[in-house]
Amino acid sequence: MGMGIAIGYLTFVALGLIIAFAVLWSTRRGRRDGGQGVAIEKAERAEPWWGVVVLVLLTVLLGITIWQAPWFTENDDPKDVQVKVTGVQFGFLVEPTAVRVGQDVEFNVTSKDVHHAMGLYNPRGQMIMNVEAIPGYTISRSYHFTEPGTYIIRCLEFCGYKHHEMIYPVFQVTA
Amino acid sequence: MMTTAVPPAVPGGLPYDDAEMPLALVQGRTRRYVLRIIWTSTAFLVVAGILGLLLRLRQGEVITLGDNFWYAMMTAHGLGAFVAWAGFFLMGVTFWVLMKVGLPIRSFILPEIMYWTMVLGVVGIVLTTLLSGFGGSWVFLYPLPFFSAGQWSDTVTGIFAGSVLLVGVSILAYCAAVLQTCLAPGLKAEKDTLGQRIGLALGFGLLFPSRFRTRRGTIPYPVLPFAVNAVDMFLATLPFAVLLVLNIVQSVNNGFSINVLLAGNLLWAFGHPVVYLLLFPAAAIYYYLIPRYAGRELVAGKAVAVAWLIALTMNVFVWAHHLYMNYPDGANVQQTLGTIMQPTTYALVLPSALSLYSIAATMYRSNFRWNVASKFLVAGIVSWLIAGLQGIINATAVFQDTLHNTLWIVGHFHNMAFLNMGLAIFGAMYAFLPELMGRPWWSERLGSWHLWGTVIGAYGWVACQMIQGLEGAPRRWAVLPDQYLTLTHISLGFLALLVAAQLVFAYNLWTTLRTSPFEDAKAVTVHGGTQP
Repeated sequence: MGMGIAIGYLTFVALGLIIAFAVLWSTRRGRRDGGQGVAIEKAERAEPWWGVVVLVLLTVLLGITIWQAPWFTENDDPKDVQVKVTGVQFGFLVEPTAVRVGQDVEFNVTSKDVHHAMGLYNPRGQMIMNVEAIPGYTISRSYHFTEPGTYIIRCLEFCGYKHHEMIYPVFQVTA
Repeated sequence: MMTTAVPPAVPGGLPYDDAEMPLALVQGRTRRYVLRIIWTSTAFLVVAGILGLLLRLRQGEVITLGDNFWYAMMTAHGLGAFVAWAGFFLMGVTFWVLMKVGLPIRSFILPEIMYWTMVLGVVGIVLTTLLSGFGGSWVFLYPLPFFSAGQWSDTVTGIFAGSVLLVGVSILAYCAAVLQTCLAPGLKAEKDTLGQRIGLALGFGLLFPSRFRTRRGTIPYPVLPFAVNAVDMFLATLPFAVLLVLNIVQSVNNGFSINVLLAGNLLWAFGHPVVYLLLFPAAAIYYYLIPRYAGRELVAGKAVAVAWLIALTMNVFVWAHHLYMNYPDGANVQQTLGTIMQPTTYALVLPSALSLYSIAATMYRSNFRWNVASKFLVAGIVSWLIAGLQGIINATAVFQDTLHNTLWIVGHFHNMAFLNMGLAIFGAMYAFLPELMGRPWWSERLGSWHLWGTVIGAYGWVACQMIQGLEGAPRRWAVLPDQYLTLTHISLGFLALLVAAQLVFAYNLWTTLRTSPFEDAKAVTVHGGTQP
């Protein structure tokens, strides 16, 4: 998803920069005619329409994305494996420690002390899941594993002076 | 000598023409007060900047620092750079801009409370972090302050929370002072009631000109973001103050505790709107200065007034987008809040989008006056666009699986806070300091070096962090995994350029302070910026 976000973002940045550059360039012409050659009233009248355009774009984005929020995508269907992940300063308790490719796995993530977060990285080092570990609460997230190998769990919520050492290095997904 | 002083209002032009500002007022107590805040906040920038540089050098494995000291420095850097420098500077300059649009400070009691509580609070934060080792990060996510793993005591947590509370009191005093100033007789409401003044300050006069009439024409546009910010920050700071008080109570009574989800909501009820403590005054500075450099009024109508009313109402209903990942099984309230606050956060795009339109339309084909101040402002405005688009991504819940608590977020808020609000601050310094100090800047060329070094250095560093974030680099890690080391080293090169640019700025400022004032130069007027 990271690449998709980058491409979408850079597309809009490029469009914005083109418009910004055009505005800046136009001041050269403004210098020649003393800034008198533009209809201010017309620009003022167009402003609400610009607001409408922005509103429509945001509404479309909302309509596409809101239903993919993590709390909407989980369902109550039975999963193949339940993996309990408990954060505690400064490590993870994981049980069981291995699953198989093709299994639907439900992670039940919680914490014994402070906030932690389970950042799950695939064997290629890409983060594929990010689940908060909240003391006293459990968050359940599902994942369908398709790639065998050794996965790493890193803590992604700041939890104290050894936060950067809170790594679970050997979650196995076997073929 | 350079000519970056604020140009005079357009002859016969602006509805809030301040060309006839009495000299006594310009050189009076407000000038000394604003200057004091500028120097104090700039001193905070020096400390916070050095801390930030050390943090990144440690991540790049160039230097070695103790783990807890790194996190204590991170805590001090976050609060120091965001609130003690940028927030404090913009809070101070607020009163200069308001005075120049005809709304001078009415009483210095609240502004002085604002100043001293901020200074005392920052001193407390520095002592509890750098000396006593409090390293809970600037959000000190409850219950972490009470799980220090032996690195600091509960007493230190209590003093730290008390220090942050003083900063909160400073913000509350600022809000009250801004409202006292904005609701002053200077609005010249035809029906001089409090309701009329409130309506005028919040932009109702633009929407309903027959019901909210003034004897001065249109209300100056910069008043809108200042007034909206004051109302919202008042509302947003109170729940945070409650959280801080509860932390102090627990620091002296171990049997006391807070629900962790409630604590998170109280934190972010302030933690997001505080961004607007910086952004809205920066927007007001753009509204004030860009028309002067463009030589025409701000191109804005009712749409901008509507946008600021949206900001007024939505700003305090967006906090839960920081808690998208906190949706525990069975806690449907948190999930509902997340669902509601994606669209309310999107709504906050409108004030930015319409402001950018207004500024662009004001500049379009204008006889724009380019100098160091206006270039800094324009660079900040472009950054507003670039960082604002990142904000839309961050407001979208589904993307948080990839981005939440990664260096993308760190890159984003440095893009927004340093490259938008920070550049507005530098622009305001180049524009206002000549009239505040009574002397022109020493060197235009050094100002340009400062500009380009800052923009190139900061964008290079921020881009590295954002790319690292997209690759999954975790946020708030003293030691990053090896796979991210190359980009960290590249970013250090850009940081070196950024630091060099600030040294150029410091030299230019130091030399400026030693040059002759305007009276001796016998050429440059307070408002005109004429070359001798």
